[in-house]
Amino acid sequence: MSRALVALALLAAALLPLALESEGYAIHVLTLALLFAALGQAWNIVGGLANQMSLGHAAFFGIGAYAATILQIRFGLSPWLGLVVALALGGLAAALISLPTMRLRGHYFALATLACGEVMRVIANTAAPLTGGPAGISVPFGAEGVWMMRFEGGRPIYWLMLGALVVVTVVFEVIRRGALGYRLRAVRENIAAAEAIGVDTARVKLQAAVISGALTAALGVLYAQFNFFFDPDTVFGVASISVRIALMAIIGGIGTAAGPILGALIVIPLEEFANAALSDRAAGLSQLVYGAVLIAMVLVEPRGLMALRFSWTFRPRRASA
Amino acid sequence: MSAPILSVSGLSKRFGGLQALHDISFDVARTEILGVIGPNGAGKTTLFNNLAGLHRPDAGTIMLDGVSLVGLKPHRIAGLGLTKTFQNVALFAESSVLDNVLIGGLLRHGVAEARAFALHCLEQVGLAGIAQKQAGELSFPERARVEVARALATQPKILLLDEVMAALNHAEMEALMALIRRLREGGLTVIVIEHHMKAMLALCDRIIAISFGRKLAEGSPAEIARHPEVVAAYLGRAHAV
Amino acid sequence: MLSLAQAVLDGVMIGGVYAVISMGLTLVFGVMGIVNFAQAQFLMLGMFVAWFAWRFLGIDPLLGSFLAFGAIFALGWALQATLFRRVLAAPPVAQIFLTVGLIIVLENSALLLFGSEFRSVATPYQTASLRLGELFVNVPYLAAFLLSVVCGGLLWWFLDRSWFGRAMRATAQDPMAARLMGIDAARMHRLAFGLGVGLSAFGGAAILPYLTVYPTVGSQFSVLMFTVVVLGGLGSIAGAVVGGVAVGVIQSVSTLVFPIQLQNLVLFLLFIAVLALRPEGLMGGSR
Repeated sequence: MSRALVALALLAAALLPLALESEGYAIHVLTLALLFAALGQAWNIVGGLANQMSLGHAAFFGIGAYAATILQIRFGLSPWLGLVVALALGGLAAALISLPTMRLRGHYFALATLACGEVMRVIANTAAPLTGGPAGISVPFGAEGVWMMRFEGGRPIYWLMLGALVVVTVVFEVIRRGALGYRLRAVRENIAAAEAIGVDTARVKLQAAVISGALTAALGVLYAQFNFFFDPDTVFGVASISVRIALMAIIGGIGTAAGPILGALIVIPLEEFANAALSDRAAGLSQLVYGAVLIAMVLVEPRGLMALRFSWTFRPRRASA
Repeated sequence: MSAPILSVSGLSKRFGGLQALHDISFDVARTEILGVIGPNGAGKTTLFNNLAGLHRPDAGTIMLDGVSLVGLKPHRIAGLGLTKTFQNVALFAESSVLDNVLIGGLLRHGVAEARAFALHCLEQVGLAGIAQKQAGELSFPERARVEVARALATQPKILLLDEVMAALNHAEMEALMALIRRLREGGLTVIVIEHHMKAMLALCDRIIAISFGRKLAEGSPAEIARHPEVVAAYLGRAHAV
Repeated sequence: MLSLAQAVLDGVMIGGVYAVISMGLTLVFGVMGIVNFAQAQFLMLGMFVAWFAWRFLGIDPLLGSFLAFGAIFALGWALQATLFRRVLAAPPVAQIFLTVGLIIVLENSALLLFGSEFRSVATPYQTASLRLGELFVNVPYLAAFLLSVVCGGLLWWFLDRSWFGRAMRATAQDPMAARLMGIDAARMHRLAFGLGVGLSAFGGAAILPYLTVYPTVGSQFSVLMFTVVVLGGLGSIAGAVVGGVAVGVIQSVSTLVFPIQLQNLVLFLLFIAVLALRPEGLMGGSR
């Protein structure tokens, strides 16, 4: 995609909410899609560039959501500062998880990270005095204002998510094209050879994990501000977050910047509309369809939709809609 | 002789019941081309792996310009100036030839300089024309030369070449030997493992023969070619061919 | 001291069942190299089969477990022939997300077909217990344990003594060589996958007398099963037995020390520690 096309798509995405009802359902769904596109992009740093299939990114997401919300409740801390805290905590958590798991590959890495996410879920459910436990936690209501991320209507938070997506995508691209991206590719393809020609493979994996974890935690803060209420099983959930994050990249195209964006723009609206249309008819039907689509995707083209575009002359022309 | 660039002393390595290296000692002089010969399974590649930090020796010392390499991770050793190629060729198969070499260049350069330097290294091995090809699609001789270029891109003080000539034809081998000599003129020290005896005798300043993990003999190519034990253990068969 | 002995006894009996449900997971990995993240969902299906057999045919779940095995074996056979066959040589990402997709499909199919309510069976022995000196033996635990021992014994006999079992192990070690010996590898894979998910279904039915079934019950067992097989070494049947009993005892004993909510945390941390320190399993990688 050329620069002009990207700029045009970005402009269209920025202007789109003006055409939509400010409190409407469409803008809600699109905001969610932007969030998951950004999450998929952050996951893509570890999952795509280093090819380590993390199924535990909910750990960072939940840490960010809880940390910022608890600080806001207890000390009235601005979510903007919460973002900074989340970046630090997410990076720290990623480093802690990375140290014991970085030697693992393939299934083993997926299993270990999955368990890390589950550990966080159990802790959040148990530490009720701090987290509210299984009953969940609410972002306190306050006066509107930018400082407390409290906005009127759905547009500002949409733009916030769009900005977050842009930031995460830029980070992803800078990494991919830079020295770290090359080194991650070397680690992915032949770890012994990478070491022998001077790549500090442990450090490279750690860097990727920390950046990915920090960004994911920051996005957790935005989710809390967007959704106002959450509980441990949602933000630390394997299916609701960890797998879903990875899916964005896998369905769209792993290791590419456009992949998670494409994936989220297809999957999230599909999920939401299917939920709305089918849930009163039969609970579970939309999720069933979702799972079936995932299976079909993996069987038809494990490299994601991005790999299909040539054979289908399918062009991801619009960055939104 | 001035202080050796590499000094190996009492190096031993055991894998389970197999004594792969036993009390190996030798020095390498600056800008020397040292050959390592021995039958298959003698421990040549194991020696390289120990020098490069891929294995940790059980005993012995390895000093590179006065710095001990034992216990260091491979990337640290590469950083100190010792780089090895892989016998079975371990390229990043899904990346382009250029990117393979570029990653080596990242050890001492940023991406842009590493790319320019990688092209220079590819020119040296005569592969600049296929820089954009995917490494996995190359023929074995091409891949071996990319290995050499990638190792060169790390700008080593001492380069360990593990059978990079194995599948080359005569002209390619001559070209690579000329390159090794040129690199030496430029100040590089080289240790070569190769089965091709004629090439080794022509290329090396000095040769070490190892057998069953022990150093059998050490000397000039002429001395090695005459050494009775070497002839018995190894050369005899090669000469008979 | 007495409560510790009681906890160990309970743990061993629960652990016997864990061993059987985890054998399926380890068998599928051992033969095909696939980690089936959806394994616990087949356990859930097994529980449902047994529940319906009890409700509409009046079959006790302990007998129904054989029915559950048969039904889920057939399902597994069919899934291998249609879906899993196609990712055997695929990169881990395809294998992982195929089974993750299967979790979603199986759970929601169950939700659509059976609804979200909790279902349990009523059996005459449900609250019975035997006295063993100062200790009590919970009869449903004991029944499930004995059934697991029988099942494990049959599996051992099958893998070790029968031609099919030996052919399957040969396929696991070297598919190419097995093929040259005239073994139909694809058929062995179908057999292994059917057997693998069937075993988990069998175990699910065996524990129905003391548990309830609902569509997402499998997720409770997922990490538990993975802990069992990772403890014992992925692919090792004997390891699954040791790992199953170990996990049962650890779980049971940890309730003496920790609040019930933290019971799983102990398992998760154990799981991560084992993966990090000895990914080939505490007993080594070979079967």
